[in-house]
Amino acid sequence: MSDRYSFSLTTFSPSGKLVQIEYALNAVKQGVTSIGIKATNGVVIATEKKSPSTLVDETTVEKISLITNDIGIVYSGMGPDARVLVGKARKAAQKYKRIYNENPPVNMLVKDVALIMQEYTQSGGVRPFGVSLLIAGYDSNGPSLYQVDPSGSYWPWKATAIGKNMISAKTFLEKRYTESLELEDAVHTAILTLKEGYEGQMTENTVEIGICQMEEIVDTRGNTVTVPRFNKLTPSEVKDYLANIA
Amino acid sequence: MITFFLVLLQSGNEYNGGAVVAMVGKDCVAIASDKRFGLELLTLATDFEKIFKMNDKCYIGLAGLATDVQTLSEELKLKCDLYKLREEREITPKKFAHLVSSTLYDHRWGPYFCEPCIAGLDENNKPFICSTDLIGCINFAKDFVVCGTTARELYGICESFWEPDLGPEELFEVISQSLLNAFDRDSKSGWGAVVHIITPEKIITRHLKTRQD
Amino acid sequence: MALAGEDFCIVAADTRQSDGYHINCRYAPKAHQLSDKTVIGTSGFYADGLNFVKKIKQRMEWYFHQHDKTMSTTAIAQLISIMLYQKRFFPYYVFCVIGGIDENGKGCVYSYDSVGNAERVQYQAAGSGNELLQPFLDSQIGLKNRSNENETLNLTEEMAIKIVKDAFSSVTERDIHTGDCVEIYIIRKDGVECQKYPLKRD
Repeated sequence: MSDRYSFSLTTFSPSGKLVQIEYALNAVKQGVTSIGIKATNGVVIATEKKSPSTLVDETTVEKISLITNDIGIVYSGMGPDARVLVGKARKAAQKYKRIYNENPPVNMLVKDVALIMQEYTQSGGVRPFGVSLLIAGYDSNGPSLYQVDPSGSYWPWKATAIGKNMISAKTFLEKRYTESLELEDAVHTAILTLKEGYEGQMTENTVEIGICQMEEIVDTRGNTVTVPRFNKLTPSEVKDYLANIA
Repeated sequence: MITFFLVLLQSGNEYNGGAVVAMVGKDCVAIASDKRFGLELLTLATDFEKIFKMNDKCYIGLAGLATDVQTLSEELKLKCDLYKLREEREITPKKFAHLVSSTLYDHRWGPYFCEPCIAGLDENNKPFICSTDLIGCINFAKDFVVCGTTARELYGICESFWEPDLGPEELFEVISQSLLNAFDRDSKSGWGAVVHIITPEKIITRHLKTRQD
Repeated sequence: MALAGEDFCIVAADTRQSDGYHINCRYAPKAHQLSDKTVIGTSGFYADGLNFVKKIKQRMEWYFHQHDKTMSTTAIAQLISIMLYQKRFFPYYVFCVIGGIDENGKGCVYSYDSVGNAERVQYQAAGSGNELLQPFLDSQIGLKNRSNENETLNLTEEMAIKIVKDAFSSVTERDIHTGDCVEIYIIRKDGVECQKYPLKRD
């Protein structure tokens, strides 16, 4: 196989479009909505966690993944594709850390992930990823939030949404967002935005939230230091937030 | 086999000779080297500098086999330049130290015969120095680091001369006197010296005339 | 190490005896008084050093009985050179320095290699820490690499002792074979004094 030519499945249509990428974007649009909001002192990403059946043990389903201690990813679109990307992103982050002994800054990780996604639009014998990603992190430049699409293009956002209800969610966010938004309010806003397009009852088991902010930790030498950390909220923490809103 | 490797390791570092030292001062760092280039005890040139600028706030001094000094310095400069293009910022000395370390460790079983000393100021202009061995084990020191064939002489004299919180000019005097008196007792280094003082505002580079024997 | 002043001389040696990474003894004197005017410092193989000093003392005793006077420092210096060279092809593994007052009442230091090569110097470091010590002495006593070439040093006893202490604490910091305690012999016209000064024990 490898000694024969293989051609990219993503080829230009006569009108200059790459329809495979547009199809991939359609796959994203069918995916569950994900929200990301950047606040003054951190970032929050949130998504719904739909199970196809009540018989599924939803505690094991994870849609928000940590890439490093201080960077988290959420996706909309095809779960299996996203897991491949998370694996590749983690590997890219570790590669950076092996060389520099520091976690990559968010923009560098985004570039790496975007590069991988672009490769899958041009390489032979592969299809583009059917996911859009929201990458949230905190580095020396402060909090940041990026979106990466199947084409490999990426943007920094103050607040955005991807997936099924992205258009209405974005309109909602445009109304709610202010420059001085703090993290606690941002979490509330994210939940409210999700709630807008949510079908059925929202519980702590059907919504997933990840927060990135500065935290005090005790390092290996016993010193208290302030470092950025990405944490996923536990169901009980989510429950508290939901209770506050209702 | 192991003996052969150890002989190679020893002779590689001592073939050309050289001395490099870096010191921490108050809001500044200094790095200095001799300028001799020789083959064992035969001196061939006296204008061979062993300190290389990576950016305005980060210098590296390499003592060891001259061919590896040149190759490694160029490889590291390339990596720094690519880093700057990729990340749109200058590399910090600490990150650079790990870059050097991982570069050297990539050649674990066929190493560059070089011992680097790194000196620089970080993003908050805090002084940083370190040295590594030829396969990349980092030594983070708070006072001074030394390497080359003159290392033992430098250790003795720096231990006596160095003190905390020296200003740029005092630091220049201390590092110069340490280096000069140390390499005068080493036949494989000397023949002139160069000193760089890195401060947040500017870099002071001075060439020292020394005894030529 | 040893250093000479105008009318005095200092011989100093640490008291650690080690074998590779192992410390055999924290108080094993390496410096020995030979006469009222001479002190020897030895390094290298400790047993050879002790035995060598014993033999020097024996030769000095014979000299005393034959000539009815104590050997002068310069005579001892010559004796040591010859004794070392006599063992040219199975040498004492000893690197020694002697310090004392010569016939003219001036401080003097002689340094040797293991086979008897001798040199009269103003200051000398010997032993495992010699590379670390010597450049420091070059700078502080030899006044090497000074911009003012006419600078002269008027070395007083207090200054000399301070330099010796500084030198030993610096070497102790970086040389694992040096430490525990330093014995400083001060040789003056009117006799020898020994001071002990603690060093780091790690």
